[in-house]
Amino acid sequence: MTRSLLSLGLLLFASCAGVVSAQTLEDLRNDGKNTDNVLTYGMGYHLNRYSALDQINKATVKRLVPVWSLSLDNRWGEQAQPLVYNGVMYVTNARWTVAIDVATGKQIWRTEVDWLPETPRVVCCGVSNKGPALYNGKVFRTTLDAFVVALDQKTGKQLWKSKAADWTEGYSMTVAPLVANGVLLTGISGAEFGIRGFIDGWDPDTGRHLWRRYTTAAPGEPGGDTWGPGDAYKHGGASTWITGSYDPDLDLVYWGTGNAGPWNPEPRPGDNLYVASILAIRPKTGELVWHYQATPNDPYDYDACWELILGDLKIDGGNRKVVMQLNRNGFLYVLDRANGKLLSAKPFEKVTWATHVDMTTGRPVESELGQKVRAGEWIEKWPGTRGAKNWPHAAFNPNTGLLYANTMHAARMYRFLPVEPFKAGQRYMFMEAKDPENRPADLPVGHVDALDPVTAQPRWRMPLQDFAHWGALLATGGGLLFTGKMTGEFLAIDADTGKLLWQFKTGSGINAQPITWTLNGKQYVTVLSGLGGLGEIVNRQKLGNVPQGGSVWTFALLD
Amino acid sequence: MDVRPAGLTKRLLYLGGALALYGASVAAQGTDRRFEPEQISKGAALFARNCAPCHGPRMVDPQSAFDLRKFPPDEKTRFVNVLTRGKNAMPPLGGLFGPDEIDALWAYVVAGEKR
Repeated sequence: MTRSLLSLGLLLFASCAGVVSAQTLEDLRNDGKNTDNVLTYGMGYHLNRYSALDQINKATVKRLVPVWSLSLDNRWGEQAQPLVYNGVMYVTNARWTVAIDVATGKQIWRTEVDWLPETPRVVCCGVSNKGPALYNGKVFRTTLDAFVVALDQKTGKQLWKSKAADWTEGYSMTVAPLVANGVLLTGISGAEFGIRGFIDGWDPDTGRHLWRRYTTAAPGEPGGDTWGPGDAYKHGGASTWITGSYDPDLDLVYWGTGNAGPWNPEPRPGDNLYVASILAIRPKTGELVWHYQATPNDPYDYDACWELILGDLKIDGGNRKVVMQLNRNGFLYVLDRANGKLLSAKPFEKVTWATHVDMTTGRPVESELGQKVRAGEWIEKWPGTRGAKNWPHAAFNPNTGLLYANTMHAARMYRFLPVEPFKAGQRYMFMEAKDPENRPADLPVGHVDALDPVTAQPRWRMPLQDFAHWGALLATGGGLLFTGKMTGEFLAIDADTGKLLWQFKTGSGINAQPITWTLNGKQYVTVLSGLGGLGEIVNRQKLGNVPQGGSVWTFALLD
Repeated sequence: MDVRPAGLTKRLLYLGGALALYGASVAAQGTDRRFEPEQISKGAALFARNCAPCHGPRMVDPQSAFDLRKFPPDEKTRFVNVLTRGKNAMPPLGGLFGPDEIDALWAYVVAGEKR
């Protein structure tokens, strides 16, 4: 009796402590079950960007109105996914980390990120930040000049700051960190500036560096013979600028790697492992357990960084635990996530650089364009340099088994320029590109797609005529998809038909990642507005009437 | 054996190749005698490597930045200030290029392409 009372007391103490102290690894694993919180990038380790919340649904969405907005005092663009814990929202951009009271929209604290004004010269595609990570009382983030930082959740005070790389050598960071099995993981950007990519593991308590998994293989390592003679691997790219997913049961982190450097492959004959690849690694050690290379030798800037979505699919009558990716190269890959076995690889957009993926070897079969471009000729390639899909993350509804993605429908004229020696801080690409001249004016520039993961066939397509979408998708149990336009409209789309049901014009362009959450039983949706990133860079002139300037927008149903 | 003409020929051949690759217009250069062809060619290569991603290949079709073909050819100081100190979305590049490289970029912007 005494003992059971004692254990009851301990249990009560532990559960109370759980409320006031920060969340645990178990909370991270269960993200989504307590809808008051959004604790992980991707709204779950599986990166499904799906919430079962259904108060806001096809019938009620017409009553959706903004309940608060907060300026982020930032002109650089907002790409982040906010996180929510215990009534506080955490938002990052390149300049600030901000804590906000979710009930009122009032700022609780903000902490500046200080970097030298010349740092953006090593940032190819938008001065931004994709978001924070939360664990054990701390807010973790990366900085543009390649540091990893931990702040106190309550005060915003910096607890530690660790240097990942030297920005003057082309390295930068925009990636949201991942906490997996007690280790803080971060990636790196800079494959347009001749970096050697890596994934780092850090001690979240102290900022101590635990391990580094380089993503280009050195001579003597497995894959080290795929770079030709010389030291091309030292500047071979394979950046890791999008957060990985995590399967706690298998204890595997799935992290994609970026394009090869330089884009002109002349100095790097061979497959160039592990550029444009999907890696499965142990979070405690960085050990590489399996890999799959989507674009061997990558001469096209076809990153395989994009979100690696975990799901359970019925394939050939059996249930498979899979990892899925809508790759920049136009193929939708489905792999067995335990062993990396390729299960499906079908094009989801127009693809001319390869005829198909050979399912026996797992390799793409290149079209004649590969030879032509390596010989120095102009080619028209589909997908274009920005890909059939860029980073804006897809969503996966485990109930419908469909992927929802903002895709792009564009070719680029493309040819290589002579390769010059690496120079720290200068571009390391050696190509030029332009739009084809014969593009029909009425051709959609992109779509919102609902896709069957295995066939890559669309259930429906919502054509976009003005700008492709550069924000992520969020899918909900209310049968809705949320995303935004570069012109500022926040959209709710019928997930069954692709019909636009509701929109609200925010203050700038949207190229960020919506979330949904609850407070006192009421459903809210939040998105950042603030034109920036590659979508802004490539459309800046056409977007002349969309002002810059970041803000947070939160919506709920009008009672 | 006089090596100089042979060396010069080789240099001219190389220059011709570089000009063809980077597309600096020979006609445009013929009309501007302020710059050496080598300087323009060097500027063309620097531009193609570092500036074209935003300002467009050969300054054509700048999707995201100032159309440099419209830069006033008599305002070199302004050009150097913006290049080294940055402006709007353009980062300061002062630490990245030496004075001769900045001169080469100016030569290319003024005289490298048809305006």
